[in-house]
Amino acid sequence: MLVYVVRRMGGMLAVMLIVAAVVFVIARVVPGDPAAVMLGAAATPEDIAALRARLGLDEPLAVQFVLYLKQIVTLDLGHSIFLDRPVAQALWERAELTTFLTLMAVGIAVLIGVPVGIVSAVARGRAVDQVAVGLAMLAASIPSFWIGLTLMKYLAVDLPWFPVSGYGPPDATLGERLHHLVLPAVALGIPNSALILRFTRTSMLEVLGDDYVRTARAKGLPQRVVVLKHALRNAMIPILTVIGLTTAVMIAGAIVTETVFSLPGVGNLVVSAVLRRDYPVIQGALLVVSGLYVLINLAVDLLYAAVDPRIRY
Amino acid sequence: MAETDGPNKQGEIMNLISRRAFSIAAVGAALTIGAAPVTGQPARAQAAPSGSVVTVATIGEPPTLDPVGVTSDLVSIITQHMFETLYTFDGEWKLTPLLAAAAPTVSDDGRTYTIPLRTGVTFHDGSAMTAADVVASLERWTKVSPRGKTTAPIVDSITAADDATVVITLKEPFAPLTALLAMNNGAAAIVPSEVVDGANPLKALVGSGPYRLLEHRPDQYIRLVRFDAYASPEGEPNGYGGRREAKIGEVRFVPVPNATTRVEGMLAGQYQFADSLPTEMLGRLKQGANVEPIMVKPFGFPLMIMNSRTPVTANQTVRQAVLAALSPNEMMLAAFGDPAFFALEGSIYAPGTAFHDAASAAGYNQHDPKKAGDLLKQAGYKGEPIRILTSTQYDFLYKMSLVAQAHLQQAGFNVDLQVLDWATLVQRRGDEKAWDAFFTYHTFVPEPSLITFVNPAYPGWWDTPEKRAALAAFNTEMDPSARRARWADLQTLFYTQVPTIKVGEFYNLAAAGTALKGYTPMPWPFFWNAELAK
Repeated sequence: MLVYVVRRMGGMLAVMLIVAAVVFVIARVVPGDPAAVMLGAAATPEDIAALRARLGLDEPLAVQFVLYLKQIVTLDLGHSIFLDRPVAQALWERAELTTFLTLMAVGIAVLIGVPVGIVSAVARGRAVDQVAVGLAMLAASIPSFWIGLTLMKYLAVDLPWFPVSGYGPPDATLGERLHHLVLPAVALGIPNSALILRFTRTSMLEVLGDDYVRTARAKGLPQRVVVLKHALRNAMIPILTVIGLTTAVMIAGAIVTETVFSLPGVGNLVVSAVLRRDYPVIQGALLVVSGLYVLINLAVDLLYAAVDPRIRY
Repeated sequence: MAETDGPNKQGEIMNLISRRAFSIAAVGAALTIGAAPVTGQPARAQAAPSGSVVTVATIGEPPTLDPVGVTSDLVSIITQHMFETLYTFDGEWKLTPLLAAAAPTVSDDGRTYTIPLRTGVTFHDGSAMTAADVVASLERWTKVSPRGKTTAPIVDSITAADDATVVITLKEPFAPLTALLAMNNGAAAIVPSEVVDGANPLKALVGSGPYRLLEHRPDQYIRLVRFDAYASPEGEPNGYGGRREAKIGEVRFVPVPNATTRVEGMLAGQYQFADSLPTEMLGRLKQGANVEPIMVKPFGFPLMIMNSRTPVTANQTVRQAVLAALSPNEMMLAAFGDPAFFALEGSIYAPGTAFHDAASAAGYNQHDPKKAGDLLKQAGYKGEPIRILTSTQYDFLYKMSLVAQAHLQQAGFNVDLQVLDWATLVQRRGDEKAWDAFFTYHTFVPEPSLITFVNPAYPGWWDTPEKRAALAAFNTEMDPSARRARWADLQTLFYTQVPTIKVGEFYNLAAAGTALKGYTPMPWPFFWNAELAK
């Protein structure tokens, strides 16, 4: 197991290096430059050239790349051009919100997706199943911004139960901040619950048809034990995979929800960095996010062993 | 952050972040709840004063809080509360003193401006404003501000005659000088000489305005709080001029990039003011009992800038054909929908402003494809592609460029419409070979010489001998009514040489909570003199 983890970590280093190079190239292949964006519409070419020189953007690309690699090796993510602070700090400032939002949204997605998926599989073909599958199709097809705006209209404006947007005033308590995340988490959780529901249902259906389930039933075990203990545990691997992927995607992919609710999360940081051509932030954030992807994948792989004793590393 | 994450989670993240960064991050985490200022402020000034908080939803995060180097409206809206200039504009866009004690005394040859300063003005760091601060600030302005840099070649010297008098000597008469000194973007903001470091960024954001910066958290909020030692100019409040009183304890600017969210936040009472709202939401805003929609006029005008340096559009007749082909009416309708939000106005200055002139704008709104086709024939146009840059980031520009494309094709143009993101467009327009026209917009500026396309260095590069002569005549004319006539001459040239097409006037929909009393609608919203009803 330990050997496996170490080997995977080694592979991760290689992946990260490739990511670093790709991110550097992509950020610069896209036209547009941060100096022009910062100076606004009325800037003259001379202003832009002067700012480029100050930001070190007039160095040849090769020189910039070597400097960048040097930084990465020393675990320095660089300094944001636009925010005028270290990239690591900018990421850290947004880590709390993104962590809570991801956990809440994944929680909602799992709490809806898994139980309804199980019921749907057990009641295959019956009205309950058809309604659940239909609703899942609907939830997966509705864009999350629409869900967000609708929730906002009814639950924040018409009924003032939740705040419309933001992450709370400067003196907000943790509870108030979490209160601000409820609607965004629901908006983000609902479409993802549909995906988890579909996977749970399919995976359960496959397992429920297996011989050992028939055996368990033949032994006279109650339905609850058959479904939850015998079937679900064996159906869990694809479900875990999809939960892991959903979590990874939400870290930087919650951008639409973050924009609708004006949340200063990691996704928002990455997209505004792209629009501002803030190269160090694009590079640093994508590097960290890719690192988290790889880590989450590793965690999911290790969880396989926990749910399925046949898997050994 | 640190309080709520388990040690393992934190450990994983920390592996990816440098140790140096960790110490910064740990400090940041420890202070999250306590909300420490991110931007440097004197320690003694950190406590927020008691009193009301007004939350203003802005369209996004400003690129900087230094008002000198950029001409972004968003930056002006926020920083005009913190920084002040020598002069400003009243409700009729006439010049009025702010940090100056009175209008400048101008010598007969128009080259020496003697500016008396107000005494007893205190900066946010507690120091008193003197002529030395003004000289240092103005010198930085000539190096850093796009407006200051255009003035710099004309400036001979900026000196302090005594503690309360500044003298600006020019190499030739330059009538726009006082208007330039009064602008709140690319602003000649007066700061203590200690925070000026040549052309570099300010060492600290210290101004003399009614509000001072308490805390800035990018993408989250900017907190400006009442400056207790503020020294206000005298006189009845009028536009940006007259008495300024910070009745609201804290003005908090919150970036809310999604326009619908700004509307919903207003309706829910979470914000007391929001700017740049989608015009189609006016009906929904009117439903709100606690919200009052505000129409800001004059506000802005969309422009189609043409490149006078590429083979096709360098030909004046081709540019005249473009002007003849377009239908501003259909373009504005497509862009803004409700005619209540725009006006078909060819004069660069709208009616009601000092420089309005309808007669010289007769070439506006022709929509005559036949005439355009004839002009094209006359120009010897052989179907070379016209590369037009536009961006979906400004939805109204994108929509009107689609209509323009159709009109131009109808007149016989071969149009290559290139849809880019705004950053790419801004970069590409700097390359004189890469485009023939692009769409942008301009917000209202009180002084015509501040309009971007009047500047020969601005992409499009309108710099004919006739224009140069007309601009020089305008800039050296000191008499206000004669200046209006010189501007009409320039506008005549604008419709003959067609360096740029003005598509129309559009208005900005803003909204204020009914609890916000005493708010004065102006193109750059400000919140001194306003108060929050209990």
